[in-house]
Amino acid sequence: MLMRRAGLNGILLPLLVLGVILLLIPLLGMAGYRLRLLSLIFMWVALAGCWNLMSGSTGYIDFGPVAYFGVGSYCTALFMLKGGFPFLLSVFMTGWICAALSLVIGLSTLRLQGAYFAIATFAAAEALKQVVLESDRVLGIDFFGGAHGLTLPSPPSGIFFYYVMLFFMGLVVSLTAVIQKSKLGYGLRAIKDAEQAAELTGVPALQIKIRAYILSSSLIGCIGGVEAYWLTYIIPDDVFNVMRTIQMVIMTLLGGMGTLLGPVIGATFFTLISEFFGAKFVYDYLIIVGLVIVVVILLMPQGIIGTLVKKRGKSSWLF
Amino acid sequence: MILFWQSLINGLLLGGIYAACSAGFSLAFGVMGVVNLSHGDFVMLGAFITYWIFILAGIDPFLTLPFTFLILFFLGFFLQRLTINRLVGSPPIMSYLLTFGLHLVLSNLALRAWTADFRTVQTSYSGLTMSFAGLVIPYSRLATFIMAMVVILGLYFLLYRTETGRLIRATAQDREMAQLMGVKIFKIYTLTFALAAAITGLAGSLISFTFVIHPQMGLPFTITAFCVVVLGGMGYVPGTLWGGIILGLVESLATTYLTAGISVAITFFLLLIMLVTRPQGILGKGVVEWSKGS
Amino acid sequence: MAFLECRGVTKRFGALEAIRNFSFVLRPGEILGLIGPNGSGKTTLFNLITGLYTPDAGEILFKEKSIVHIPPHEICRLGIAKTSQITMPFGTMSVYENILVAALYGQNLGMAQAHVAAERILAVVGLHERRDEPAGKIPAPLRRRLELGRVLATGAEVLLLDEVMAGLTPAEIEQALMLLKLLSTQATIIMVEHVMQAVMGISDRVLVIHHGEKIAEGTPIEVAGKPEVIEAYLGKRYT
Repeated sequence: MLMRRAGLNGILLPLLVLGVILLLIPLLGMAGYRLRLLSLIFMWVALAGCWNLMSGSTGYIDFGPVAYFGVGSYCTALFMLKGGFPFLLSVFMTGWICAALSLVIGLSTLRLQGAYFAIATFAAAEALKQVVLESDRVLGIDFFGGAHGLTLPSPPSGIFFYYVMLFFMGLVVSLTAVIQKSKLGYGLRAIKDAEQAAELTGVPALQIKIRAYILSSSLIGCIGGVEAYWLTYIIPDDVFNVMRTIQMVIMTLLGGMGTLLGPVIGATFFTLISEFFGAKFVYDYLIIVGLVIVVVILLMPQGIIGTLVKKRGKSSWLF
Repeated sequence: MILFWQSLINGLLLGGIYAACSAGFSLAFGVMGVVNLSHGDFVMLGAFITYWIFILAGIDPFLTLPFTFLILFFLGFFLQRLTINRLVGSPPIMSYLLTFGLHLVLSNLALRAWTADFRTVQTSYSGLTMSFAGLVIPYSRLATFIMAMVVILGLYFLLYRTETGRLIRATAQDREMAQLMGVKIFKIYTLTFALAAAITGLAGSLISFTFVIHPQMGLPFTITAFCVVVLGGMGYVPGTLWGGIILGLVESLATTYLTAGISVAITFFLLLIMLVTRPQGILGKGVVEWSKGS
Repeated sequence: MAFLECRGVTKRFGALEAIRNFSFVLRPGEILGLIGPNGSGKTTLFNLITGLYTPDAGEILFKEKSIVHIPPHEICRLGIAKTSQITMPFGTMSVYENILVAALYGQNLGMAQAHVAAERILAVVGLHERRDEPAGKIPAPLRRRLELGRVLATGAEVLLLDEVMAGLTPAEIEQALMLLKLLSTQATIIMVEHVMQAVMGISDRVLVIHHGEKIAEGTPIEVAGKPEVIEAYLGKRYT
């Protein structure tokens, strides 16, 4: 009965089926490149989903999520390398550290609106990257590894990361679904639609925005930590690269900001395209990406899912 | 001690250049609310136009300035007409993303066409310097600084002393009212963006012989423009002069006394601190929107 | 007991004094009318009380406690809510959901209880037929009713109503007046209105504001006869 109240009955069965299939895939023999590709897709769905959780819900365009990805990568790496902690514990602790960091950054930046929030978050991300890049040299220590980054111990098999990424994807999608129909979700949408009116009806806007921001950022941090172990080496130019932010944004935009399935569709689509075209024609690929963005913005600003919603005329739980 | 003054002078000259490179960004934001993430690419294009004309036709960079101005003016004109004008009234994220898409297209087309090689414009007078009280000032830098000042003054004159400028400022202050008074908003927007692009391209031309140029140089200049404009006050064009000089001084001193990399970090921290503590800029004349929940 | 009180409140915007040395007392259960020419500062006053603006001088007290530096959402929770002259619905949410949000956050209820409260308010303001429509797409008079519905759903004891009757037909005005009379048994109301017969007919007391200052106060009859009031509205020639 509770399920029906939340409108879950339409989607639950297909999702469960899909979930079971995904769980079984490695056991059915898929391995190597294909498994890695799926894991990559899961990671991007999770990342885009996190960005959607914050920016899609509140309408505050965050241009700095890669900051937490980078911080998360380094935290997990450092916990494992210098602290000797096991991987999963490291990721767990990383989540909390990113939560604390996002509280600080969020409290200062979420009071700003529009362009300022976007620029501030972008600046924060770049500043953090520079800190990690230069700290060793300036402080005369050997901690972050400067431009060379850090190397982690040998990881377990690809199957391990498949399941970890699958877990995070499932977590992010479930959280998004649960929040959408919760009190928090209503508060978020109210803020997005009319923040001042929301305040006047009792919605504590700053608190609500921070909650979404912390949730999104700490999860991004965890995923960054997982990727660090997966790739076994991290360098600042990669884990703090603004292209990661851009990808999260494009995937969500393409799929449809603020929708549940938007990031899923957008991330899957985009990751596949990148894999097939990205390596071969680097410059052309970026030019095409740029053109795609321009075209989507001008013609299909609601993204794939969003445009479908508009055509149906009413919004359903799914969207 | 000499090092300090040299650093100061360098910073001042750099700052003037930064100011010229950023004025267009402030203009676009002030009038249309557009944060143009492809801004730096206009700098890059201006620089390359001057470079190629110099290489292929041997014409002195200073003489190509009007040419660059015109080309970028038309580029801006068409971009605005075809794309950005359609976003008026849409949520801001649309313009960020659109202009970012433009950035990807422009910078990578340039990369494709001209390869990633670093280039400079070397004229017969490139290396000449003048000495003054023990300080070394390259002529080209000084000339560039002076030209940058001319550009900014020109822009100021245009905005504050001509009829067209008045229309632009009126539109920036109150779009609805301007519309009611018969101002053709979209024409003003197109003109403004074209002007912003042209000025930025001009600045790009100016830096082609003091900086090393390459197709990917755009993004750092966009970031510099953010910084300058936030310091000077978003949308307040005269403020970019102060913003540029402050940034130039900070960067120069940081590079001298710390490392070049730290100087970049400082730029960002400065930006962040400004945004959080005083987003209306040093002079307090910037346009700010506070989120209603605070 | 002064329920809501303003003491010497002043608010400046640059060189303009929008509200000057404004003082008044609101008693529980009364309907206070606030009238004055356009631009006299009525909406500014509402914004000051609800915490959107901070006064440059003076005090605002609710139940004898200062609410001057309290953020708007807390003031709403304390029990003061206002409608907006330019309606601000949560556009992508349905009419029902708009009211639900107010119940959830204004009264700080759980989901189940909020649903109950929202259903009730929906019926009170008569928007039941439009409950699932996106709030951004309903016609203007209904949007005003929605504003009222949201305000009621917050459970506020003091309702600040900013021109809720604008654009209504005489029949609709009658209905609205009946609703207000009903509401005043449970809440205290300050009404800003230009529809004179409505505000004069229903108010217990009336305040007149002009250029940010209080120029008259009293029962509707007392106020209507005052020369300052007539002058403010019609100019010197008519007094």
